[in-house]
Amino acid sequence: MKSKINFYLIEFAINSLLRQKAKSIFITVVITFLTFLLASVFFITNSIKYELNATLDSLPQITLQDVRGGRIHDIDIKNVEKILAINGVSDASSRVWGYYYFEMLDVYFTVVGIEEFETALTPALASLSEKFDFNSIAMFVGAGVKKKMSERYYKEYFNFIKPDGSMKKVNIAGVFESDLELEANDMIVMSKQNVREIFAMSEERATDISVHVSNPKEIATVAQKIKEQFPSFKVITKDDLKLSYENMFNYKSGVFLALFVVAIFTFFIIIYDKLSGVSSEEKREVGILKAVGWRVEDVLKEKFYEAGIISVFSYLLGIALALAFVYLLQAPLLREIFIGYSDLKVSFRLPFVMDLQTLLLVFFLTIPIYIAATIIPSWRVASLETDEVIR
Amino acid sequence: MIELKNISKIYESNENNRVTALKDVSINFKEGELILLKGPSGSGKSTMLSLIAALSKPTSGEVIVDTKRISKLADTFAATYRRNNIGFIFQKYNLIPNLSVEDNILLPLIPLNLSEDEAQKHVKSVMEKFHIAHKKEIAVKSLSGGEQQRVAIARANVNKPKIILADEPTANLDKELSLKFIEILRELKSQNKTIIVATHDPLFFGLDFVDREIEMLNGELLV
Ligand SMILES: Nc1ncnc2c1ncn2[C@@H]1O[C@H](COP(=O)(O)OP(=O)(O)OP(=O)(O)O)[C@@H](O)[C@H]1O
Ligand SMILES: [Mg+2]
Repeated sequence: MKSKINFYLIEFAINSLLRQKAKSIFITVVITFLTFLLASVFFITNSIKYELNATLDSLPQITLQDVRGGRIHDIDIKNVEKILAINGVSDASSRVWGYYYFEMLDVYFTVVGIEEFETALTPALASLSEKFDFNSIAMFVGAGVKKKMSERYYKEYFNFIKPDGSMKKVNIAGVFESDLELEANDMIVMSKQNVREIFAMSEERATDISVHVSNPKEIATVAQKIKEQFPSFKVITKDDLKLSYENMFNYKSGVFLALFVVAIFTFFIIIYDKLSGVSSEEKREVGILKAVGWRVEDVLKEKFYEAGIISVFSYLLGIALALAFVYLLQAPLLREIFIGYSDLKVSFRLPFVMDLQTLLLVFFLTIPIYIAATIIPSWRVASLETDEVIR
Repeated sequence: MIELKNISKIYESNENNRVTALKDVSINFKEGELILLKGPSGSGKSTMLSLIAALSKPTSGEVIVDTKRISKLADTFAATYRRNNIGFIFQKYNLIPNLSVEDNILLPLIPLNLSEDEAQKHVKSVMEKFHIAHKKEIAVKSLSGGEQQRVAIARANVNKPKIILADEPTANLDKELSLKFIEILRELKSQNKTIIVATHDPLFFGLDFVDREIEMLNGELLV
């Protein structure tokens, strides 16, 4: 057996694609578009899932808010000691933060306070607190915040308006780095003392209390105990938050979109096959090849090369376009389907997530369907008696 | 070398429509012989060539070529048989119109997976022999009828077949080109190829290098 690649056969296949220009262009457009859509959907979904998981990891296991008369009030920090005394709680700390409405641009910033030696910080906040000068009136801002502020010519500092109407000028010490897009983009970090001043919050109070439980299986039990001891507290566990975050990143609808696209494609292939079948010209060509000594096997190999070349080319093109569309252009239009509308997000960038699995999935959802749709009718023609086809 | 034994071929497009194209035909052709198959339209000439080329299978009877029963070959072996033994010049030439002269002539060699040097050598040699080399890069569809036929002849010879089958080779040619074709036949004959020409063109009748003329009518041989 000769196993060496038959370059003449490949050349013939390429030639054959070039000869049927209109058909080839049409097929390239369809497959490229399909791969592009599928890959875009999967890229966005992956990005969002990645972001979602990272965000969830950074959340406290239990968050406590003080709700009185249906309104959330600042919580008394004396409660921290009492919470720490509860069995199963390994750490509890008060958090000082709030949403600051920036009227000029109609956006919300998340203003977060940190203090020296604080333990319950996300990795990014922890590394920031190491270089932070807690005595200064300065802040670190996320890249998105920096951009928004610059738009209104706040490049060095920003004037916060306090509840009593007076202003507090805070210098921008730097841009906040975080792997979490959500954290990095609408967040402002400064000392707790400054945050209290901006929101007119007293020293004895905090926004909420975050609780860490040493054994994650006990989260529900601990939450229950806290609720019993502090009936006015709203006890929010990570699982509760997970749900609301998943709603925000409504990525499931995107997966349905992908399935829908594949269904349409399959349908299209069937229709196309039924309508065109194999043209009489193509039939005749197969007949000629057989008459000059090609075996059915040779004909099918050639058709396989043809289908393979055009579909792999279109696949690569589609993937390249999807990469550019999702990660360079940030998926205009499509991302609206995936990311629920939220005031809180200033500018959410899709993090670059790439895995072989996604590429293979898109590959197997498109290319084998197309190759089969080409080979099967050709096989039917090639199996006819040659004489009948070329007469 | 070619032996047809009690060959019948019935075309059955549906139950009410059966055409008997060949009726119990038996005949032998010797190596190096040039035979004319004559007869009116529909008498079964093309059908006989097609059976010898293993392009179709007889309804009953056997075709034996060099002791091989080619009428019983599975498709893969029939193709191999054709590629090794047969050069077929079709009535409608059966070229691929958008391919160049060169590429059309290369077609029978593609599945052989020859080296580029070897394949090019074969193609060049038949193009020169049949005087079409000067048009090698031109698409076949823009050639004249006579030129297209020369491409078809070159393609039929590129695999160095022992048997040449020609179906109505002069049906689409004027007299001058027909005479040229006859000269080509004479040359092929001198190379000791076995040649069967199906035709009802009187130009062929009584040529000195034709060994036998066989008359057909309604699927039977007239003796
Ligand atoms: N595929 C087919 N299906 C049905 N009938 C066929 C088929 N091929 C040939 N026939 C019939 O078989 C008979 C013999 O045909 P064949 O082509 O062998 O004749 P021929 O002698 O070559 O005629 P011509 O001079 O017109 O080429 C004709 O009646 C023809 O209509
Ligand atoms: Mg005929």
